[in-house]
Amino acid sequence: MYGLDAISAHNGWQLAALGISIVFTCLILLSLAISQIHKALDFWDRRYIYYQRIKKLVQRKHRSEATVSDPVLPKNVKESACQCKLLIERIGEPFPLPRLIDFSKKCGLLNSHSSVNDLLQAKLIIPDGKGYFLWNHEVEKNIKVSMKMNS
Amino acid sequence: MPVDINIIDSLNLFEDLSHAELEEIAFLMSRIRVTEGEAITRRGAPAHTIFILLSGNFMVFFKEGRSYTLHNKGDIIGLSTVVIPFYYTGTAVALSDGVVLSMPGQELLRLIESNPVMSDKIMKKINQIVSARLPFVTGRC
Repeated sequence: MYGLDAISAHNGWQLAALGISIVFTCLILLSLAISQIHKALDFWDRRYIYYQRIKKLVQRKHRSEATVSDPVLPKNVKESACQCKLLIERIGEPFPLPRLIDFSKKCGLLNSHSSVNDLLQAKLIIPDGKGYFLWNHEVEKNIKVSMKMNS
Repeated sequence: MPVDINIIDSLNLFEDLSHAELEEIAFLMSRIRVTEGEAITRRGAPAHTIFILLSGNFMVFFKEGRSYTLHNKGDIIGLSTVVIPFYYTGTAVALSDGVVLSMPGQELLRLIESNPVMSDKIMKKINQIVSARLPFVTGRC
């Protein structure tokens, strides 16, 4: 048996078709891979920027976690709160913060800047959004309640 | 001595800058310790230096006692250095001991003028901050 008969008898046509399909499949895959190389190169070139972005995302996550934690009330807040509350009652609300600091200095309050800062941190003094400040009666009540519960 | 680039990188104002741009900025900055009650800017004085808060707390006050306070890392004081007419509009006083980064305004302006891409990134953020603070300066809150 020779020629086309021999090819057919030994599955030659099927083998040829299989060979062609394997070669073309490989060529298609290779061309697809080559067509995407520019993306991989671009990623490699910008690796530092991606690294920075990931780093910033992680930092932001840590920061937001830190802000969620409960604020700790400064130690001397109670004493300065009593003194500043009296001064604020005298100045009137809403009051200018620089005036409260000046007034507390004149009245002999030690470390008037940091005392006022403690009250700001404790949210006992809050901004009114117009450049002036208010005494936060809600926080004052909460502090009194928690102090009673502790005692 | 230039400031550590990682510190600059962690600040909101410079977060979009490339490594090379951050290096340029870091070279111009220096760390300053501030004590409670110290004024780092005075209203009406020529604005030569811009400050970025690293730690501590500040009060910035204007005419008629209007004021706002700054408590967060990355908060900026002295934006008048990049805004015409280059005079401080407020007085910034430290409410507690802290550390700030200082940068000569002229150097920042030169850098911004020489690099349009960087200028776009920084000025966009500066404009946002200025527009948020403007009501305190003008009294139209």
